[in-house]
Amino acid sequence: MESHPSHGELSQLVEKYPQTAGSLFQTYNDLKLAQQWEDLQILDLPACSRGAFKGRRPKTTDMLLVVPCSLAESLSISWFDEAFKQLGKPSQIYLAINAEDSNIVYYKISPGIIKPPV
Amino acid sequence: MSHITSSNRPRGGGQGKGGARRQENNKIYAYPLPLLFSPPPRTTVSLATSRVLGIFGSSNIQVENPHCEGVLDRATKSVWVTNKKDAMILWRRGFFGKGDLSRSEPSWHTRQVNAHREAAASAGKTLTSEEIREKRRAERIQFKLDRARAMAQAAEEAEIAFKEGRQANTVSIPSGATWKPQQSTQEPSTTEQTLVSKVMPEVEEDEDKIKEEEPLEDIEHLQLTLQETFFLIWNFDCLTVRDPLYDKRLTLKEIWQTLQEVYYPSLPSSSLKLLHSYANRFDNQFLVSYVAYHHYRSLGWVVKGGIKFCVDLLLYKRGPVFQHAEFGVVVIPVYEDPEDQITSPFRLNNVEPFTWSWLSTINRVNAQVQKTLILTYVTIPARSRVDAALVSSPACLAHYSVRDVVLRRFIPARMRD
Repeated sequence: MESHPSHGELSQLVEKYPQTAGSLFQTYNDLKLAQQWEDLQILDLPACSRGAFKGRRPKTTDMLLVVPCSLAESLSISWFDEAFKQLGKPSQIYLAINAEDSNIVYYKISPGIIKPPV
Repeated sequence: MSHITSSNRPRGGGQGKGGARRQENNKIYAYPLPLLFSPPPRTTVSLATSRVLGIFGSSNIQVENPHCEGVLDRATKSVWVTNKKDAMILWRRGFFGKGDLSRSEPSWHTRQVNAHREAAASAGKTLTSEEIREKRRAERIQFKLDRARAMAQAAEEAEIAFKEGRQANTVSIPSGATWKPQQSTQEPSTTEQTLVSKVMPEVEEDEDKIKEEEPLEDIEHLQLTLQETFFLIWNFDCLTVRDPLYDKRLTLKEIWQTLQEVYYPSLPSSSLKLLHSYANRFDNQFLVSYVAYHHYRSLGWVVKGGIKFCVDLLLYKRGPVFQHAEFGVVVIPVYEDPEDQITSPFRLNNVEPFTWSWLSTINRVNAQVQKTLILTYVTIPARSRVDAALVSSPACLAHYSVRDVVLRRFIPARMRD
């Protein structure tokens, strides 16, 4: 992982939170290189002991928040509460669940009950 | 350079197009395993030799071993194959691994190159599976908009009709089966534009200029799970793994030990005693998941990860490029001795019985995509019966047992067997 070009930007958070380094790294590469997100910023989320990302999808203007986690982790509602609080109470965040084969599934999490758009 | 991967649904193109793609896939993916067996030349001498050797239980068939190389990455709990040739061999001969920036086959570089040559995308020539997926998603969004509009229109009609005290005229609401995408000259990207804010033209131009100037480096690698890695090493000896921590190539014994240690929770260096409690346990995540992987691979299935369908594994008959996975497997570890579970430092997934609602959810998700759910029970041997020291070699795998239970969705109208 150290020899990968993305490691430079992530090295600080990888050192600070070694447990979540894998999912952080995989999600960063997926957003930056595969999905080609623009204005990608790396955030620190000490309440959840991991980094998070903020950026926008290509050809859109909304800034979206992504919190990475791995499939093996067990997350609680209070964990999400903390994450929402620390990210500034957004209307939605995306949870990036990383698998070991490098598959990532993104789930949109919103506080409360939200009706699907269409 | 990735190849065209066909979309799995038979398209309107008919026999001709589908047949050619299938033939091409049959050629590219002809070998089910990384090792190639070439029969001896058919001369009288070699035929006689092979018969003689056959009596002694040996053969003079030549085995070609690709000898691929990978690097262990502990953070992502996987092995990376960065050499393009090795990656292609492992993918094409058995569908091992996944491109870390792609849906399946490493095609990131091709997609980047295609994105710069817009003509290729709209002409529909060398479309990667990701590009086909984007088109399909754009169509689905359009369908959902049409449907929402039709439903709103129907509701309005009903309101007006109710006020006037008459029956409403029926408005046809498009359904997934009958809706057809409009044959417009618009590119798929413009459909996205109607939904979201406008494109930023200045930023695009600058980016294009920069990209054209530098040749794009391919930074994608093929990512193998630890189970795939061990399967390739132990059964075919066609992969060598380098450990970046000690900068050395691992032997079979070292790999067996290291892959288990990857799943130990990380500890401060002072608690060696805790580390001792993780070692020599049959319920190590690597062992349990390897047993299930090995079981299905040795039966001839192509086994991939199942996170997209809420399951642990997906079983393909020949491979992802041929047909959708027929089965989704949930691996359920069962402790032969309940004491082991109580004293275990690991917390394995799915050990507790499923709630009915959770089982129904998983079954529903898979039924929706025409997959059959399989519950695979892997029995973990009891430490009281089997010596824990056996964990030091793959011989301990013989003590695990695998039983599967199939949950089949039954539709009387469609199923006749």
